Amino acid sequence: MPGVDIQQIIFDALELTNHAREDHRQIVISESTLLFGNDGVLDSMELVGLLISIEEALLDEGIEVTLSDERAMSQSKSPFRSVTTLTNYIQDSINEPAS
Amino acid sequence: MGARRILVTGASRGLGRAITEHLLAKGDVVYGCSRGQSDLSHENYHHFSVDIGSDESIKTFFFELRRATRSLDALINNAGIASMNAFALTPPATYQQVFNINVQGTYLCSQKALGMLRKSDHGRIINFTTVAVPLQLEGESIYAASKSAVETLTKVIAKEYGNFGITCNAIGPSPIDTSLIKGVPASKIQELVQRQAIKKMATPGDVINVIDFYLQPGSDFITGQVLYLGGVS
Repeated sequence: MPGVDIQQIIFDALELTNHAREDHRQIVISESTLLFGNDGVLDSMELVGLLISIEEALLDEGIEVTLSDERAMSQSKSPFRSVTTLTNYIQDSINEPAS
Repeated sequence: MGARRILVTGASRGLGRAITEHLLAKGDVVYGCSRGQSDLSHENYHHFSVDIGSDESIKTFFFELRRATRSLDALINNAGIASMNAFALTPPATYQQVFNINVQGTYLCSQKALGMLRKSDHGRIINFTTVAVPLQLEGESIYAASKSAVETLTKVIAKEYGNFGITCNAIGPSPIDTSLIKGVPASKIQELVQRQAIKKMATPGDVINVIDFYLQPGSDFITGQVLYLGGVS
């Protein structure tokens, strides 16, 4: 989808997560930020919140994808591990929407 | 604070219509839906035809709703159907229809609205239950069971999304003279009213009073609650 910066959408969603966090628990946001799983910075509900924010931002761009469906859960490696893996997963989901 | 943006399901008649007209009178923008059209005409009212019992219809509806607004301050899951029948005689089709509209409709509308509600400073989900749940009314097994599910949904949604600034509460009206109970014999309604602490029929205004309470910014700390009318507990 031309013109949509997926990584920036993830960064914006992480900024929203930071708004709900105390000062000493702020997430350092970068391409290599580990999101969920081993050494990940998000708990399960923060991941849910992040995915809602991202889906919402994509809908604002006219793109409808579901990020937390069976397809995400069935991946051998979770697409939610890091900003990079999530960016790639969202890009793939947009290019090949689930049937 | 600008006008609140509120989605009301089942908005074209009965209680939903009364709630919608009340909110419009207060200056809110209301996105209403029902199976058919609405004859309500108001500059701040936007109507959508939706089958709340159908997941596909709800999906299409939210796609269309997004063209009208990207954020919501409240979702009022008013759409619902009742069914009176002895448990032994209730056909599967009735069960399916009641659960599709009352439970699946509440679940899907709430889920689809989460992202839009999160953009509000005072996001609200208000669900509808019934005094038939605590009174465990004979003849209303499927209807009461569906509303029990709505109560549980209400409490779990409240816990999961409290930190997102979204409250989720329910109201359980006692009998009101609306189309929902038009098929129920008057004697049965009176019998039910006599089991209340306050032994009279409720009015739409009694429900609206609770909705105003849940909606007001001062209720940011009220969530996961079920409030029954008439002193039923």
